[in-house]
Amino acid sequence: MGETPSNKSADQPLDSLLQSAGLWRASSIDCHVKTNCSSGFSQLDQELPGSGWPSDGITEILHDQSGIGEFRLLGPALARLSQSQNRWLHLVSPPYIPYPPALLQAGIDLTRIIVSQPKTLKDYLWVLEKSLSSQSCSAVIAWPAKIHNKQIRRLQLASKEGNCWGILFRSEKMSADSSPAELRIRLRPAARIKDSSAVSLKILKRRGKWESDDINIEFSDQLQRPMPGFNEMIVRDLGESSMVHGSLRDEEENFYPGPTTPDPAYEYQ
Amino acid sequence: MNTNNGIWLCLHFSQLPIEVFDRHQQEKPVVIISRQRVVYMNVSAQKLGITPGSSMNTAYTISEQVVSFERDEEKELATLSQLAQWAYQFSPNVSIKVPHSILLDITGCLKLFRGIKNLKATISEGLNRLGFTAATGINGTPMSALCFAESGFAESGAEKASIEIIHSDRVADSLHPIPIQFLRIDEHIQNTLHQMGISRCQQLFELPIDGLNRRFGIFFTDYLQRLTGEKPDPQKFVADKPRFRSDVTFLSDVTNTQSLVFPMKRLLGELQDFLIGRQLLVNQFRFKLSHRNHSPKEFTIFLANPDNDAQMFLILSQLQLDKVGGMPEIDNVSLAAGIFFEAEADSGDLFHGTQFKQKDGRTHSKAEEARAVRLINMMTARLGPQACFGLSLANDHRPEFAWKPVTMATKDCWHDDQPSGNARPLYLLPTPKFLSPDVPYLSGKLELLQGPERIDFGWWDNKGIARDYYIAQHHSGALYWIYQHLHDRSWYLHGIFS
Repeated sequence: MGETPSNKSADQPLDSLLQSAGLWRASSIDCHVKTNCSSGFSQLDQELPGSGWPSDGITEILHDQSGIGEFRLLGPALARLSQSQNRWLHLVSPPYIPYPPALLQAGIDLTRIIVSQPKTLKDYLWVLEKSLSSQSCSAVIAWPAKIHNKQIRRLQLASKEGNCWGILFRSEKMSADSSPAELRIRLRPAARIKDSSAVSLKILKRRGKWESDDINIEFSDQLQRPMPGFNEMIVRDLGESSMVHGSLRDEEENFYPGPTTPDPAYEYQ
Repeated sequence: MNTNNGIWLCLHFSQLPIEVFDRHQQEKPVVIISRQRVVYMNVSAQKLGITPGSSMNTAYTISEQVVSFERDEEKELATLSQLAQWAYQFSPNVSIKVPHSILLDITGCLKLFRGIKNLKATISEGLNRLGFTAATGINGTPMSALCFAESGFAESGAEKASIEIIHSDRVADSLHPIPIQFLRIDEHIQNTLHQMGISRCQQLFELPIDGLNRRFGIFFTDYLQRLTGEKPDPQKFVADKPRFRSDVTFLSDVTNTQSLVFPMKRLLGELQDFLIGRQLLVNQFRFKLSHRNHSPKEFTIFLANPDNDAQMFLILSQLQLDKVGGMPEIDNVSLAAGIFFEAEADSGDLFHGTQFKQKDGRTHSKAEEARAVRLINMMTARLGPQACFGLSLANDHRPEFAWKPVTMATKDCWHDDQPSGNARPLYLLPTPKFLSPDVPYLSGKLELLQGPERIDFGWWDNKGIARDYYIAQHHSGALYWIYQHLHDRSWYLHGIFS
């Protein structure tokens, strides 16, 4: 009898700790994850919650180098979304022309694609939020140069409201910062092994699990297969000093038609 | 011998000169002036004791609240033709009778509206909503209906009687109590008739027609015969290309953009009525904000698909209004639309909101389609028509011309049944980036993996290309689509296998 009060007092700090919203326990995670749209890559499906790409929420894809397969990774999923749903795939201010012949080769239905090019940051965020929450898009893809966590949180809420998958391509240096995005994936170029190209992928944040190991995703595109009988050209190794033209990364800013300057005090309506 | 002229309904807008400026009939006294004299005034002004013919100074002495407008007959006529367009929803045969009346041939549409009473009620309800007041007159000939409306005879009761008259086709009898000043005859004839002791139609009709003919001329007797239906009276009906124009004038200047929403809503409601009445859809309309001291500001709203939904129009107009920003002062908002599309019969969604699997495997619902169009409309309204587009292939071998943006309104896509087998990059550079004059180099060597794919095309239109395309790998692992110019052998980057 005398033990009860002492037990109670011992439990109380624990109880109050468990009540706090900041505490996360592995046993209390939501096990009923919806069956999601398969990514088309079995190794990735195993790692993703719901064994596939999410149907809503914000997914961040962090990478520095373009051309390593960041868009091809989404290809099978986007193809399925465009073919099975009557909703839009919305590309907001793509840095380059999303090339229709290649989209078609990836199996994406071109009639479902819309591209928008808002001119100001305010319009940019407005377009993102409106299309995410409109219920008329199956996926919204954007390449924000700078975006604040507060803004991502708003987009996350909008995507839940509109049952729409939001994809943000961001720079890898953002991986150190926290983000309200539901799923964060870091991409790095993979070592070349076979004919097909590949990308090295690491899930930094996902529901219900810790971050993953590095996974090598192979594309079945045979892009890296050298042509039979094709003599590799000998390329002179020019020094940096003799380089007239800057690296591609510098130039990339110029292609990007959207806003690049962040506005910390900015609130979009 | 009476010819059967059918049934005519006349709407007489006695307050039109005021209502073109102020449709609310507000508390404020409003007067219309012409040559410094008051010619029309609203009820509030009348209550204050302002009478027609009093000078401006008198009016201002009576009340300093008085708002005055110079009479604008052009605007009255424009409004009248707009009202005729509006009345088209009740009858296909509408004609304008200057200065302030319109005539409707309602012979064929009584069944649709289930009788004269219902038709009159529908019309007056509609006019109320628009903010116009009209006296109605119904009779067997156009002229007699006009006479009824202008004299206010039908309003003063005897509605039942008037219907019987139409049925028994005795137009002349129905006109007996009408004073002759309401007939559309010259003033000097009226004066002469008065001197003869004739003040009502009954007395006029009792006179022998030959005598009247000799005394007043053929035009007069012709008018009388058309009035009573002894002669046919063909009318010139409004048959213009449909155009919509309507405006709201503010008695006091509006400085806040937010307070424009209500008048815009009303104008868009009128546009919707206009469209539904004519089974039309619109894909662009234009707002104009004006003020007497500033240059007007206009903005056009474009829609992805023709529509007639005023609620959506309002959302888009507000977006556009936020974008253009208002003006410091506004005293008039007008709305115009001139390009219309025939509305297709909409069968409606029987299983509302249900998703159907279509043949092509898509799920499909009406609501979803409407939402998709709405998003496009909203983006076009906010970002402008060029900032939002779809993608399509184009029939050309040159990589930069093998695609084209398509506007959401036209969607003129070009389809290729057999897409090219060669790999294409997902990102294409808008203009090829020069790499180096002799070797493929981009901050490090580029290893050529596949190629060449020769594209030599278009020499005939001065934009010809002669290139060997390669897939190349950067030392960082990135895959690029590069080409070598066949003539000067220099290298360019054209795409990224992202």
